[in-house]
Amino acid sequence: MMRQTGNSKAVEDWPTLLKDNARSGGQTPQPARSPERAVWQFRAGGSVRSAPVLKDGDLYVISVAGALHAIDVVTGTAKWKFQAGGQVHSTPSLFADQILFGSDDGKVYAVNHDGTKRWEVPTGAEVWASPVIRDGVVFFGSADTKVYAVEASSGEIRWAHELGGRIYSTICATERQLYLGCGDGKVCCLDSSSGRVLWSTATGNGIDSSPAVVDDLVLIGSEDFFFYAISATTGEVRWKYETGLGIASSPAIWNDLTLFGSKDGFLYALETQTGKLRWKTRVGEVVTAPPMIGDGVVCIQAGGTFALDTSNGKILWRAGLAGAIQSVPVLAGETIYLASLSGEIYALR
Amino acid sequence: MDRRTFVKASCIGSASLLMQGLDPMIRAESAPTAVPPIELCGLADYKPSPLGMPGLFPARVIEIREANAIVRNRVSQPIVGRMLERAMKELTGERSAREAWAKFIQPSDIVGIKINPSGAPACCSSPEIVREIISSVQSLGVPARNIVVYDRYSYEIDLASYQALLPAGIRIVGIQEAFASGGGYESNVYCDATFFGEWETRSYMASIVVQEVNKIINVPTMKDHSASGVTGALKNLAYGTFNNVARTHRAPYSFTNPLIGMMCTVEPLRSKSVLHIMDGMRQVWHGGPLTQVQDFIDQPGILLAATDPVAMDTIELEAIEKTRRERGAPSLWQHDANSITLNTEEFHRDASKNLFYRQPGHIAAAAHLGLGIADLKQIDHRVLSV
Repeated sequence: MMRQTGNSKAVEDWPTLLKDNARSGGQTPQPARSPERAVWQFRAGGSVRSAPVLKDGDLYVISVAGALHAIDVVTGTAKWKFQAGGQVHSTPSLFADQILFGSDDGKVYAVNHDGTKRWEVPTGAEVWASPVIRDGVVFFGSADTKVYAVEASSGEIRWAHELGGRIYSTICATERQLYLGCGDGKVCCLDSSSGRVLWSTATGNGIDSSPAVVDDLVLIGSEDFFFYAISATTGEVRWKYETGLGIASSPAIWNDLTLFGSKDGFLYALETQTGKLRWKTRVGEVVTAPPMIGDGVVCIQAGGTFALDTSNGKILWRAGLAGAIQSVPVLAGETIYLASLSGEIYALR
Repeated sequence: MDRRTFVKASCIGSASLLMQGLDPMIRAESAPTAVPPIELCGLADYKPSPLGMPGLFPARVIEIREANAIVRNRVSQPIVGRMLERAMKELTGERSAREAWAKFIQPSDIVGIKINPSGAPACCSSPEIVREIISSVQSLGVPARNIVVYDRYSYEIDLASYQALLPAGIRIVGIQEAFASGGGYESNVYCDATFFGEWETRSYMASIVVQEVNKIINVPTMKDHSASGVTGALKNLAYGTFNNVARTHRAPYSFTNPLIGMMCTVEPLRSKSVLHIMDGMRQVWHGGPLTQVQDFIDQPGILLAATDPVAMDTIELEAIEKTRRERGAPSLWQHDANSITLNTEEFHRDASKNLFYRQPGHIAAAAHLGLGIADLKQIDHRVLSV
């Protein structure tokens, strides 16, 4: 959704993890060809768990140690660094000229594009989920069990609503509703203007995955080994699909398919409307990261980086770099950017 | 130095000087001739606690079996809650679970829960059991902010999703992010030895154990271990509390015996470790500690409780030996050069192969150090159900 702000600048919403349900991270779909060489390599100075995001020629990467790096994608050099007050596991979100992310110090930070802090807002515990932005309001959950709504311009809290467990699931914000999973095992729908719970649906264990919402379906995995499709309107379970272990990976949507990983090591492609398995492919021993969709290619990090044909699950190529268990590759033109658990950022072409 | 102990287990001949590195699969060029001198430096002036290992009930191991506690790889929290209550009452002889827990935990305590996420997600300390332990500790009046669930590696904790699955308010701490990162350890509490000519010869104790918590509830899993034979209560404490421990392996040799037990004697780890609750919902009988191969992971639905880690690990060792016999796998005690492989893939698919000469004797060695009882005839092993 595009909207006009007070200064007439077009501002694009960032309503879910990595911007949209395809987990595009702000980019248009790219062909994701097999890389042949490293263009540059950057050391983040510590492990990277979160996904990089790209905007206007800058790659934003946050190390677990709490350093947000703005990297020039042409040269691979740092433009600036911002240090948060705690560790960071949260994938950043972009809104207007701000970079937003949560920290283990309990704060959500909004950082300007020049590396200066615009605002910070405190919560009662660590924030691993990504902030999402819709119509100028930032929504996020905290491990203090609360969902927060905050003014994107000022950081002023509009409302906070307590749920039944720790929140590590990134919200998916539609026009009037917020959808997320909770550590108590419930998938929740909240009214975005008030925080009031409209419905909640129990699963068999806690939820670490973040939802996607497509065609009145909330799509989300649970640690009870099932992947759920739940009516966005009523909370009724439409279908569920059983995998071999818990599901922390967040789904990506491509055409009529929903793609996600399971801790059983497989990447799954289910028909979104029915839950019928189209294909599944083993990509590692454990998969917890969300997939990233390119042009007919799905990429996922699972002890390495894998690219699979979205139509049949065939592995097209794999790269031994970037073993980050939760990060996501960034596809931009002919270049792929990868972050690793060891703290290396690679630009591959 | 009053509290400093200096142990010379034996004299070393000539250890080969090898490449420095953390990869345990770097191979030794020749067999080490003997255990090198191991220097232990505990916290100065620390007053040992009577609750410390072997604790209030030496030689007693309570085993609760309930097949329905795990069904299709899913652990039932209500059932493990009942199993834990039964185990605690039987261990202590108390009539209520609250009285049983009060033997170990006071409302003013800072309680560390030492999980074992190594091997997650296929086999790790079940969040369902950890939740029940937290609930029991909180029922005594310990506030959530004074309960810390911890282990060495954050990324392993992350793999098991403990952060999302455990109750609000408690702290979940990975002492270090990855193998190479520093910090989180005490420079004055350590084990010092040169096993294979490595450059960094010290392993330091985690600060969270030395400075933050005053009671530790140890929650090991029931697993075979390619180097130490089994990983149970002793190894979860020792190698999960000290850093730089991979250096004690150079395939196919390992100094887990006697180092595991020796580390457990270092104060304040010894005194603070007051209770051991072994998660035997799953039992890894080959490929441990990290295997994700479900063919090697049974689901017996067992929970063990003890204050004596040596007795507990002795029972664990017997259980895994029994399973291996039933599956036609060689004993954990076997030291046959033909069973050693360099190929990790072969190890992960063939239960007759191993990467190291396993060292299950580390349990008896720990008994010799006074940490508990390893003689099966002396162990009060009670098998019950709910």
